Amino acid sequence: MLKIKNLKANINKKLILDGFNLEIKPGEIHAIMGPNGSGKSTLSNILSGKKGYEISGQITFENQNLFDLEVEERAHKGIFLAFQYPLEIPGVNTNIFLKTSVNAIRKAKGETELDAIEFLKLVKKKANELKFDQEKLSRQLNVGFSGGEKKKNEILQMSILDPKLCILDETDSGLDIDALKIVANGVNALRKKNNAFLIITHYQRLLNYIKPDFVHVLMNGKLIKSGGPGLALELEKKGYENLN
Amino acid sequence: MEQQLKVDFENYVKTSKLSSKNIELKRVNFNHFLEKGFPNKRDENWKFSDLNHIISKNIKKLSFYNDFLKSEQVDESIFINNLEHNKLVFVNGKLEKKEFNHEENNKVEIIEDFNLLNEKININSLTSLNNAFTDKHYNLVVKKNYTLKKPLVIYNITNEDVTSKNLNLRFNILLEENSSLKIIDFLDDKSKNNFLNTYYKYEIKKNSILKNYKIDRKFNSNIKYFYNNINQETNSLSEIFILSLGSYFIKNEINCSLNGKYASAFINGIISLKNFQHHEIKTNINHLAESTKSYQLIKSVLDNESKAVFQGKIFADSKAQKTDGYQLSKAILLSNNTEFNAKPELEIYADDVKCSHGSASGNLNENSIFYLMTRGLNYQEAKNLLINGFLLDVIEKITDSEIKKIIKNIMGFKE
Ligand SMILES: Nc1ncnc2c1ncn2[C@@H]1O[C@H](COP(=O)(O)OP(=O)(O)O)[C@@H](O)[C@H]1O
Ligand SMILES: [Mg+2]
Repeated sequence: MLKIKNLKANINKKLILDGFNLEIKPGEIHAIMGPNGSGKSTLSNILSGKKGYEISGQITFENQNLFDLEVEERAHKGIFLAFQYPLEIPGVNTNIFLKTSVNAIRKAKGETELDAIEFLKLVKKKANELKFDQEKLSRQLNVGFSGGEKKKNEILQMSILDPKLCILDETDSGLDIDALKIVANGVNALRKKNNAFLIITHYQRLLNYIKPDFVHVLMNGKLIKSGGPGLALELEKKGYENLN
Repeated sequence: MEQQLKVDFENYVKTSKLSSKNIELKRVNFNHFLEKGFPNKRDENWKFSDLNHIISKNIKKLSFYNDFLKSEQVDESIFINNLEHNKLVFVNGKLEKKEFNHEENNKVEIIEDFNLLNEKININSLTSLNNAFTDKHYNLVVKKNYTLKKPLVIYNITNEDVTSKNLNLRFNILLEENSSLKIIDFLDDKSKNNFLNTYYKYEIKKNSILKNYKIDRKFNSNIKYFYNNINQETNSLSEIFILSLGSYFIKNEINCSLNGKYASAFINGIISLKNFQHHEIKTNINHLAESTKSYQLIKSVLDNESKAVFQGKIFADSKAQKTDGYQLSKAILLSNNTEFNAKPELEIYADDVKCSHGSASGNLNENSIFYLMTRGLNYQEAKNLLINGFLLDVIEKITDSEIKKIIKNIMGFKE
């Protein structure tokens, strides 16, 4: 589904990713762990198409060159990023935003757009699953939301859009244990044979609830170690410095 | 161009049926205009908008229009749908239609007043020009204790029959005690390169409420000046909303005096320009009595060589204790060849007041655009959503829900 080969990325002349390789197949869950500043968000931004990086290497998504696709085209093709820091958008009603988003993607896929009633039914169902206060959806997008609510809102968007590749950038930070379980349940409910997850975190905690198939360690711009779920526990015990 | 206006003035005076006293007054006004000329940037009030330059650059051979014998067709297709309303329809400065179908008899009336004698001169050269060339005033009176059942829409239409003309219009609007009126000034231009000079005088008596929505939405090359002079008595309220989108140049000047206790004024506005346009809102709020309140929120969105100006002054007299004055202007610059100028001013002579002002301008946040695009919106859709979000709180200030809906519609807001 996703193949990253020898990815190098600079921002403002600073080298952040330096020979990054990763392949994700349908149905898999990959976790990337790494210390602060190791380039985890940079990777997720590049996958989503954020401008401003100097990039070399190759990325294909479903055999298509990812760099040929605009940000919104990547979303249309099924790439979704749950942001580490979701943005507050004053004046934009959350429900209207969600409907605009879901219909933009449906339209691009050649599906019929949802009308107001169908949309509300869908949102209500998903919001209930995530125990997300529906009243919040009639407010301005993320404005006045707590840290946890913002993160939940990301997962709500993810479950409404039902993407193929879900990238979660430190979704667990800022969540209490109950919220963490709810979010993990939401993610697990989305698992399918033909979609995949890239879970970025620097705590092992989330991985107790979402079982990854592969765990990778990002340091110095590349993956220095890969393994199974056990690697996350090892990391938790030893710390990044003592990994070999 | 002043030479031409002189010729036009003499012709006009010769053919008009005005009394000699009226003509003499017009001459005083005309001479005042000639002496001052069109305002230019050396005039503090006009330093961001050099009207003299703007007119001479865009209008060749400006002349005064007074072909009021000819009746014009009213293009009804531009009437506002989905809103029951009373109508006054002006075409090229001439009243072609009046309809107060929704109101009780004798409670609201429009009078064409030919006696101009008690007119004050020397406000500015443009009001003098207006006084010189208007042969009558349109006096609108709402009687004591009467609340209009439906809004009044004043359509101000120009068509292809006028080019390079100066059209002047004058309204005196009186709300007697305890009355209430909603006016939509709805402009529609098919004409090109004219200078429209309109003077509104509002008298809002005790306990009365005026709501005025000024909508200029259709792209056109006309140059417009609106002078609004508002006087408010005790416990009266004015709500003004300006939607400034269409014309090449607009200056909306509002001079509002809160003369009686508890009088309040709300002025909200949107300037949204796409194409080499230049719009200004200038306000002057005079708090002249105790416990008066004013609130102003102006937002601008500027693209492609456009320019917006907000000059806002709050004045509090030494008598005006417990004044509450608030003013905020914000602008989004969509391209770097745009310009936003703000000049907020406070002049306070009372010690127990609560006044604040602020101004900010900047670009759309690229990170916000990126966030929205990762959700499937293209660049333009993301931008539009953010712009509408920026403007929403101004629109939410509109207290009439029907009219709010119409304005949201014009702005392309999704419900
Ligand atoms: N716009 C930028 N300009 C310069 N350096 C940046 C910029 N954005 C991020 N960085 C740097 O890139 C590195 C990686 O950042 P990031 O990808 O956010 O790390 P992580 O998500 O792993 O904590 C950090 O050292 C950060 O300071
Ligand atoms: Mg990060």
